[in-house]
Amino acid sequence: MIRDHHVPRGSTLFDVNRHSFLRILVFSAVWWVLTGSDISSWIVGIPAVLIASKLSLMLSPPSQCPLSLLGALHFIPFFLYQSFRGGIDVMRRTLLRQQLLDPGLVSYVTILPRGSARIFFVNTISLLPGTLSAKLDENQVTVHTLDRGMPVWANIQALEYHVAALMNISTQKKNCL
Amino acid sequence: MAATKETMEILYNCGTLFIILGLPFFLSGTVGLIRFPDIYTRLHALTKADNVGLGCIVCGLALQSGSWAVTAKLLLIWLLVLVASSASCHLIARSAMQKNIEPWTRS
Amino acid sequence: MSWMHTIFALILLPAIATGMFRILRGPTAADRMMTAQLFGTCGVAILLLLSTGMGNPVLLDIALVFALLAALATITFVRRTWHGSNKRNHGNPL
Repeated sequence: MIRDHHVPRGSTLFDVNRHSFLRILVFSAVWWVLTGSDISSWIVGIPAVLIASKLSLMLSPPSQCPLSLLGALHFIPFFLYQSFRGGIDVMRRTLLRQQLLDPGLVSYVTILPRGSARIFFVNTISLLPGTLSAKLDENQVTVHTLDRGMPVWANIQALEYHVAALMNISTQKKNCL
Repeated sequence: MAATKETMEILYNCGTLFIILGLPFFLSGTVGLIRFPDIYTRLHALTKADNVGLGCIVCGLALQSGSWAVTAKLLLIWLLVLVASSASCHLIARSAMQKNIEPWTRS
Repeated sequence: MSWMHTIFALILLPAIATGMFRILRGPTAADRMMTAQLFGTCGVAILLLLSTGMGNPVLLDIALVFALLAALATITFVRRTWHGSNKRNHGNPL
């Protein structure tokens, strides 16, 4: 699973072309957002987009598991709702008179493969209610929580499931400890 | 897209509501930064509250702008801040763990 | 010129100013650096509000650069200053 992208496949050339086309599209969109509708800006824009696409392909080669559109449609509302809850949770704890904190460390073993999926997962943990990723050792994430009474484990598992769906990663049901 | 004057006005007022909703998050982020007992809990307050607050303000301004280009730029800014603050939050927490800074616990 | 947006931006100013208190208190350098992060997000919010309030779209680009710089500052600090000082003087909380 982890070393999958080293295995050569039949349609490599086609895939590389499709990937570079996608990146060029994304960087063009970013350029358009940055500069607005001024046509003359593309004199600089076209070379910049091409160089950026080439560099990004060199720095992060296309992964085996492309983003899933359906996964994104599930992930974005989930993320927005959860981070809003996280903000409300922090606001409640800061503004109430007595301190409602019961912090602690929780350890979690993730099934997500090494690479962008795992990094994305670790970064999003910090935006969910009551959790903050403090350490990542191989597949073991140490999470700092504001309140040990919260269902931290269930929250992180839900996030992991959504990230897996977003990145088209199959999740075999693992045995919970 | 032919937006009539009334729909524009409704969108504008919805935007104002969103901005007003966003302000308390910023204030609570600052209060958390001052009030919480250790570095980890302060990181919680700072990242979560400020990102949600900025999200509300971006949403409100996008509704008020009535232009797709401005909306796209606002979303790009929010995305950049989200990625940056969650990454630097993790980095600070990780370094604190490596320096053996003990998390504050109750009692 | 929209007064409403300027007033919203003024409400956010104390949020930044109060954050200065954390710089005085510390105790570690990272706590102080977190105020810089607060400046980043709050500053971006203020610039966005002013951009609409003053009808000046250039401020949006400034907000973008501000967000980038705040992120780079924090990451550089953690990777170089805070991390590096650990090896040189072990056990010193500053």
